[in-house]
Amino acid sequence: MKLLVVEDEPGLRDSIRDYFTEAGNVCETVGDYTSALQKINLYRYDCIILDITLPNGNGLDILKALKQNRHPDAVLIISARNALDDRLQGLDLGADDYLSKPFHLSELRARVTAIVRRRSFDGNHIVVFNEIALDLQSKSVSVNNQQVKFTKREYELLLYFIANKGKVITKNAIAEHLWGDSIDAANNFDFIYSHIKNIRKKLVEAGSNDYIQASYGMGYKFTDQ
Amino acid sequence: MKLFTRYYRVNLLSTIVVMLLTSMVYYWAISRILIGVADKDLVVEESEIFEYVRANHRLPQVFESKDQQISFAKVSGPVKREYINTSYYNPKERENEQGRGLISSVNVNGVLYKIVVVQSSVETDDLIRVIFSITIVVVLLLLFVLLMVNRLVLGRIWQPFYGILQQVKAFNVAEKNDIAPQRTNIDEFNELNDAITSMATRVKKDYGELKAFTENASHELLTPIAIINSKLDTLVQTENFNERQSMLLNDLYTSVSRLTRLNQSMLLLARIENQVISGYEPVNLKWLLEEKVAQLQELYADKEINVSVFAEEKEVQASRYLVEILVNNLLVNAIKHNVPQGQIDITLTKDKLVIKNTGEDRDMSTQDIFKRFSKSANSEGTGLGLTISTQICGNYDWMLDYRYRAPFHYFTVVF
Repeated sequence: MKLLVVEDEPGLRDSIRDYFTEAGNVCETVGDYTSALQKINLYRYDCIILDITLPNGNGLDILKALKQNRHPDAVLIISARNALDDRLQGLDLGADDYLSKPFHLSELRARVTAIVRRRSFDGNHIVVFNEIALDLQSKSVSVNNQQVKFTKREYELLLYFIANKGKVITKNAIAEHLWGDSIDAANNFDFIYSHIKNIRKKLVEAGSNDYIQASYGMGYKFTDQ
Repeated sequence: MKLFTRYYRVNLLSTIVVMLLTSMVYYWAISRILIGVADKDLVVEESEIFEYVRANHRLPQVFESKDQQISFAKVSGPVKREYINTSYYNPKERENEQGRGLISSVNVNGVLYKIVVVQSSVETDDLIRVIFSITIVVVLLLLFVLLMVNRLVLGRIWQPFYGILQQVKAFNVAEKNDIAPQRTNIDEFNELNDAITSMATRVKKDYGELKAFTENASHELLTPIAIINSKLDTLVQTENFNERQSMLLNDLYTSVSRLTRLNQSMLLLARIENQVISGYEPVNLKWLLEEKVAQLQELYADKEINVSVFAEEKEVQASRYLVEILVNNLLVNAIKHNVPQGQIDITLTKDKLVIKNTGEDRDMSTQDIFKRFSKSANSEGTGLGLTISTQICGNYDWMLDYRYRAPFHYFTVVF
């Protein structure tokens, strides 16, 4: 994937770049409105990660410029402004998704992957990881072309893992991805473990390798290395 | 006691006392005067007798008179001259009447006679009675008029006061509507009105500034939190942590996520209070409830909590976003404050949604659980969930109510 990160906070910008670059993506970054405008007029990206509040300009204007020039780049808005109006305005202007700050990098990656997948593999709804295939339309999982019965949650979790393959995903990020704000009700994240156990068991029983590694105390990593 | 009632009571009581006292004095004075007049008549009669005796040297002949009787009696000793109240026989009416008499004595040719002149005082009494009744009627009329005037005029005069009071009662700093100035031609009320209006404006301004500050501060905090979170995510990728390090990292994650939720809750509350988020769309509460219950399944299953849902079809007109937050907050609350192997019963009917759950064996209605940041000591929540819920209900004129009937805590939304 070729990505552009438009974000004025260097700390956040670099973290995003590092997270995406390590997985073999091309990730360019800009920190202000003017250079962002230059970039989008010169190059095309699979997805633009766009902050709304920028020095000397508004991210939404960049989005408008993109749409006016009929550039096909996908746009994911990231903003600390979580107001529903901002969200709707962004989506109305043609953004593909909206993620409010702060977020887990794994969540950002899952969203970006979903957008790019939706856009570029139109008609092909299959995500493949070695012998595992996920059908995005029927939300089903198959191993070596054999259907494996997954619950909705297990499917979502597996998709999240595959979008972040090779990365350690914290239990915290998993919990927030699957339950959102309701995770407040949980005393601990032990129930995530039982989901992981089920996924692992189902995949292995269907003849797949075990790709889920526990990262000591922190979370899990889905990797074939 | 109302001001009017109090005023009436004092007013009426003092009027009655004064009226009673004055009427007694009045009665006494009038009867004094009339008796004086009667006594003068008696003295005239007495002196007529004396003159007759002096001229004729014998007692005058006693003849019947309409309103006067004179009698003579021979006495041996001296007679004390005095006025008496006695009875008078009225031959016409053939009955005894009130009379006023004078006892005197006369010496006729060396023989001492006792003279008793009695005069009927019925007319005097009648006069007093008439005067007295007129007075009473006047007094009563006066009291009645006073009462009516007070009631009507005072009621009208105090009208602006009640208007102001009503507005002060309805005043809410978080709401947009101001206290409307009430114009009257009574200076005190105008002053009160001005004072209250300016106070309300000041309070609102302060509150607005505070809220803006909260919003801005929360906002500014979100960026550094986002950086911390992303740096933590990056750090975790370096792996190979020992147990101590991963525990520290987990604590950091937990704290960052609490901070995030607190910020977002504060922002959300500010927006709901400002009615930035509003709107009306049909929301099927039954579906929403069932969806939420399914979504939270792992969270209550983990605590082995039994959840039962009884829901009738119910549709509300509200913002779906806000209703979701409301339902979510109440359900999360019921799970969070529950006990292992506890129970949650959700009942949705046409007019209300009741969520009852087992939990800590304590009635929390004494401490105001809807207050901001009020939460149990071991809760890791933001303490804003119920405040947000109340505010959402307030926006749609619903009522959120809490009560405890052992062993259940009841949260009821009345539509």
